Amino acid sequence: MWNYFRDIGLGIVTVLTSMGVAWRHLFTRSVTLQYPTEKWTMPERSRMRLFNKIEDCIGCGQCARACPTDCITIQTEKRGKDEPEVFASDGTQIKLRTYVFDIDMALCCYCSLCTFPCPTHCLVMTPEYEYSVYDKLDHIYRFAKEKPLSGKAQKPHSEKTESHGQ
Amino acid sequence: MEVEYSGDVMTLNMGPQHPSTHGVLRLELKTDGEIVAAAIPHIGYLHRCFEKHVENVDYAGVVPYTDRMDYCAAMNMELGYVLAVEKLMGIEVNNRVRCIRIVMAELGRIASHLIAAGTYGNDIGSFTPFLWCFRDRERILDMFEETCGARLLYNYNWIGGLMFDIKPGFEDKLIEFLDYFEPQVDNLNRLLSDNWIFIKRTAEVGILSPETAISYGVTGPNLRGSGVKFDVRRDEPYLGYDEFDFEIPVGQGEYGPVGSCWDRYMVRIREVKESCKIIRQAVAKLTPGDVHESIPKRIKPPAGEIYMRTECPRGELGYYIVSDGGLKPYRLKVKSPCFTVMSAFEEVSRGAMISDVIAILGSFDIVLGEIDR
Repeated sequence: MWNYFRDIGLGIVTVLTSMGVAWRHLFTRSVTLQYPTEKWTMPERSRMRLFNKIEDCIGCGQCARACPTDCITIQTEKRGKDEPEVFASDGTQIKLRTYVFDIDMALCCYCSLCTFPCPTHCLVMTPEYEYSVYDKLDHIYRFAKEKPLSGKAQKPHSEKTESHGQ
Repeated sequence: MEVEYSGDVMTLNMGPQHPSTHGVLRLELKTDGEIVAAAIPHIGYLHRCFEKHVENVDYAGVVPYTDRMDYCAAMNMELGYVLAVEKLMGIEVNNRVRCIRIVMAELGRIASHLIAAGTYGNDIGSFTPFLWCFRDRERILDMFEETCGARLLYNYNWIGGLMFDIKPGFEDKLIEFLDYFEPQVDNLNRLLSDNWIFIKRTAEVGILSPETAISYGVTGPNLRGSGVKFDVRRDEPYLGYDEFDFEIPVGQGEYGPVGSCWDRYMVRIREVKESCKIIRQAVAKLTPGDVHESIPKRIKPPAGEIYMRTECPRGELGYYIVSDGGLKPYRLKVKSPCFTVMSAFEEVSRGAMISDVIAILGSFDIVLGEIDR
């Protein structure tokens, strides 16, 4: 009987204590952010959407090898000897013509392992985070601009993805 | 002919979509009225074939996959793997890398224990601590994001070093956070831990005796809640944890038998304070250095095998790696702390009330990503 009333008393006292803690919290600043109207400034190291500056890409394929989920597809061919020499912005000669550079952002795991081996620092993760799409195939970003000269058939990435089965 | 009447046993399925199972876990409860006669966990809903999959990924590429095992404490998960590979290759890291790793691991521990305490309060029926814990965890995640660019799945510990050095001014932010956070732990105690209703609800249910805990191989806060003083950080130090001064809190059984749900919960709260102490010491020991100094050009460990265990927030995490001298692991086996504690669940919950099953499960602080892998 004594324990019963003691429990009720202790319950009331401790609940009032915790309500006191919560009451003081009413007068502090709000910590939430009303997202679509207010936006968080992303830190510069944020790892979000991948971007490749294709003009600087030398097509070495080190990013594709580093990727643990194999979301980067690169196809290259050698530039002919009679063609004019092309250089990246840091002076590296681009000896290969990259005619396919596809990144499937739906497969990307945002580990950033691909950006570090890039010799010309053209593949970067940008702080942009709003890029949802309706179709999954729209997540395949095709960065390559040049066309192959040797007449090889250009295999689109979408065929490969579909053949995997979804 | 005599037939023994066994009572009216009903099978009750709890999960896999039950919010209190912390993921996708199905519990098959054989109930006799309000009493649980048997609770059989069915796991495997989140199985992602981690161990087989990483046999096809190179050593550096495994780190993002280890993040996804225990997503509440990804920093500690990758730390265990990275240390195992470094031990296999014989890489020694410099003091700066060690100190930053300790800071990050302890911050990860605080974040993980905050989730554990907050969701436990939520399971029992108090919602405020849940939001308060997430508010404080948010500040830790902000610091992680500023350092490595990701909030949840970091890939920050690399084999032989770190992804980035910490930013200038990070130490001040860290100390500022700790100064803010340590009083918040006392606030949380006043809000939840010392609440008499909470104590009555948890202090006498789910008794895991020390003998049972040891025989099942339970580790981490669940073992320490039963009063067994065992911590890999103290008993088999890695990263130079032996140079740090910290206590190992154990369950003392203030409100009932040792090894109750409240003891396990309280061990986590006390561990958070010890982690704050470790972080302060690690920041003081920080020396200048290059964090990329000992990252190997090509990660190709010699043929052999290694077992490395670390103390992750949920217990002892072990990585067993077999290497055939190639660029990919030949075999990788994970000893997961949540899996072992799940095996003891049936023993603990036998004879409990149905509503106490939630309290017991929440106090074990399981993460299904790690159980199923």
